Amino acid sequence: MATPILELRGLIKTFGGVKAVNALDMTVNDGEIHALIGPNGSGKTTTLNVISGIYRANEGSVKFRGDEISQLPAHTIAQRGITRTFQNIRLFPRLTVLDNVLIGRHTRLRTNFWMTLAPNPITALEEDTARRNAHDLLAFVGLADRAQVRASSLAYGDQRRLEIARALAAEPALLLLDEPAAGMNPTETDALVKLLYQVRDRGVTLLLIEHDMNLVMAISDRITVLNFGTHIAEGAAAEVSQNPDVITAYLGGPLDAGFAQTR
Amino acid sequence: MNRRGAVVAVLLVACALVPFVVHSQYVLQVTDTALIYAIVVIGLGILLGFTGQMSLAQAAFFGMGAYASAIASTTLGWSPWISIPFGALFAAAIGAAVGYPCLRLSGHYLALATIGFGIIVQLVFINARSLTNGPDGINSIPPPHLGSLALDTYQTYFYVAYGALLISVYIAWRVKHSRIGRAFEAIRENEIAAQAMGINATHYKVLAFVLASAFGGLAGGLIAHMTRFISPDSYSFDQSVIFLVMLVIGGSATITGAVTGAILLTFLPEFLRPLKDSYIMIYGAAVVLMVIFMPEGIVGLVRRLIPSYQAPPAAPMHATNSIADSA
Amino acid sequence: MFDPSATLQLIVSGLAMGSIYALVALGFILIYNAVGVVNFAQGDFVMFPSYIAVSFILPSVFVFGTVMHWQLPTVFVYLLVLVLMAGFGLLFNRIAYYPLRDRGWLPVVISTIGVSIFLRNLAQIVWGSQPIVFPSLFSVQTLTVGSMHFRSQDLLILAVAGVLIAFQYVLFERTTLGKQMRATAQDRATAQLLGIRVDRIVAITFIYSVLLGAIAGLLVSPIFTVTKEMGGLISLKAFAASIVGGFGSIPGAILGGLLIGVVENLGGYYISTDYKDAIAFVILIGVLLLRPSGFFGERVSEKA
Repeated sequence: MATPILELRGLIKTFGGVKAVNALDMTVNDGEIHALIGPNGSGKTTTLNVISGIYRANEGSVKFRGDEISQLPAHTIAQRGITRTFQNIRLFPRLTVLDNVLIGRHTRLRTNFWMTLAPNPITALEEDTARRNAHDLLAFVGLADRAQVRASSLAYGDQRRLEIARALAAEPALLLLDEPAAGMNPTETDALVKLLYQVRDRGVTLLLIEHDMNLVMAISDRITVLNFGTHIAEGAAAEVSQNPDVITAYLGGPLDAGFAQTR
Repeated sequence: MNRRGAVVAVLLVACALVPFVVHSQYVLQVTDTALIYAIVVIGLGILLGFTGQMSLAQAAFFGMGAYASAIASTTLGWSPWISIPFGALFAAAIGAAVGYPCLRLSGHYLALATIGFGIIVQLVFINARSLTNGPDGINSIPPPHLGSLALDTYQTYFYVAYGALLISVYIAWRVKHSRIGRAFEAIRENEIAAQAMGINATHYKVLAFVLASAFGGLAGGLIAHMTRFISPDSYSFDQSVIFLVMLVIGGSATITGAVTGAILLTFLPEFLRPLKDSYIMIYGAAVVLMVIFMPEGIVGLVRRLIPSYQAPPAAPMHATNSIADSA
Repeated sequence: MFDPSATLQLIVSGLAMGSIYALVALGFILIYNAVGVVNFAQGDFVMFPSYIAVSFILPSVFVFGTVMHWQLPTVFVYLLVLVLMAGFGLLFNRIAYYPLRDRGWLPVVISTIGVSIFLRNLAQIVWGSQPIVFPSLFSVQTLTVGSMHFRSQDLLILAVAGVLIAFQYVLFERTTLGKQMRATAQDRATAQLLGIRVDRIVAITFIYSVLLGAIAGLLVSPIFTVTKEMGGLISLKAFAASIVGGFGSIPGAILGGLLIGVVENLGGYYISTDYKDAIAFVILIGVLLLRPSGFFGERVSEKA
């Protein structure tokens, strides 16, 4: 029985008169891999930004595990269990790979300013555990030997993995991925697919924006299709790909060749 | 103890012997001043170097610590051992009050707000005569005592300043290598990503600001009880600028850089004094040259020459066209 | 209490001082728009030309401790100073900015600070630390209308500033050079792709900003004395004015300058003379907290 982990109802986000997200409804179920697709400019990244708290919604509701989160600031939303990666990769460039992941773990640690002043067992234990967790995550994404390297010197594909490791360090329930496969060749994309399955197997629900339709069709349990800021279809991958509205949105006009045939 | 630790320990002990080796009052005065300025610059380093937030009000907090401490020990008769920390706390409290609204701004807006704040504070020092004695300043500030020994020479005060500096370095070091320090650096590197990882950026920026104010205020209290006379002239925007230059030249992302910059740029004008009137001019030219040829400050340069260390990140200097926050 | 005639006089002299702030603020904004950096030496480009001018206008002046007689006709001196400062602007661009142009804003800021320190102390070495009185250009110091007195210099400032702003409008809106300057300020990379010689345009922008500062200095010197500190507070207030008006906005810089000039004058009279200088910064902080984009700036909004 599928239970929703994230529910958007009537979500509206405007920028100076333009409705980037227009009365959007969307449901993501717990434990699934859910893709958010649509033509360029359909509001996908904006939706992710609203969910993660980078933007405030103008109207509508975002419920995470039943709690309303739409007016919460980004850092609180991360504490609640939603973390993310970014379309344009936002690593901490001059810090090491390990430090990037450690920062991801920030919300799971408890040391405050006063506790840093004197060495104490709580902080020591916490730091130790955090470091081990970070090394484990780096191994999980295949960056174990790059821990002390500056993040900015990583190859592009490795930077994307690092972003994922960092986002996982907080032990989120829901992970948002904004075009994780962008700029990857087929080999890298396959590796990414394997990685994403492993993330899902760890109990993390995935919501990803992607343009690579092969990836989307292969990996998604359910898909939401956006156009002009509102959803035009939502459901299992196969049925969505046959949906005439979806085909129109992508190809600009009704056609017999559904885009399932373009694979 | 590893080799690096041993080197550091030897250096610390060697420095502690300075007053026994150096007898010139003049050199000791400059040294004591340099140590105290180093504390100010460490504070600025936490705010600008670690967290990437610009402040040009560091001299204002330096002044607030000086005045609070001086007034407490002259008018209220407190012992300097109490009034100096009081100066730090007072500056920190003002920092918290001012920091919270200001740190929602970023980049040059924040810099401007701190400039404005600093100028207003100096004007208060000049005009609130009943409290601060106005342009005439406050004199007869008592020195601290150890039992019956008055620490009123540059030799003896060296240890007060040196001790305070060591404590400051310790605190800054512990903060840097903690979850707090990582949060600071995350904010500097990419504030939006930091927020997305659960870091409450405003909270940490205010914390950094309060720490910078506290260090500035502590240094202010120390200088008041060393020179035993303070006046508003010393706590100007120009002085804030000098602290900034010290930090950047030394290497803003590290504590070593802050201390090095402060010491170097306190001594440099004195070395140039034989050039008589032109010395400050040459100082200005030297600053320009140093910025051109040492992009990551002195510390960065040294670390490049020692291959085993990676050069540390310098202060927020994205090669972009605008001062605007990394969006 | 409220005195209409005093108020009017204060407004006029406030507008004059505000025009000075506006000119200096324009200098800031143009350099900022072009290269993304605040020029901390802007105030010294107000101060230094004033020293040069006064050396040639006065019959005798102390230079390096000895008396010199270099007097030249006034108009000629003004032109000479402007030419020299244009050359200086070019030099400044080449030395303090160009080597650092790819290194981000902080090194350039520090570099301009270095130049500022250098200039102030060069001035002190050459001309000493005594303030120098800049002779008035007018035989009639004040214009009297009824019971009100208006300083002639203030009226000259308003006239010159007006002409300059009109000139600048024509420059930016109607000439190719002006359009190239605006294009470079908006998007350097694209400007380059369009064939605009960006480095040259940036150099021209620097020269123009320095000249604005120089003109401001020449206009304001007869009111205050010429000292090495004269540029300091003026430039800080001008910087505040540019934020109040909306950082990056040219009309904003002008209106911000005028606003601060008038409000601080009225405040100095009606509220407190001691804290007159604080008024500009109180306005600044108020604006920053309430409406950081200023009155004309772009809305400060987040992007992801």
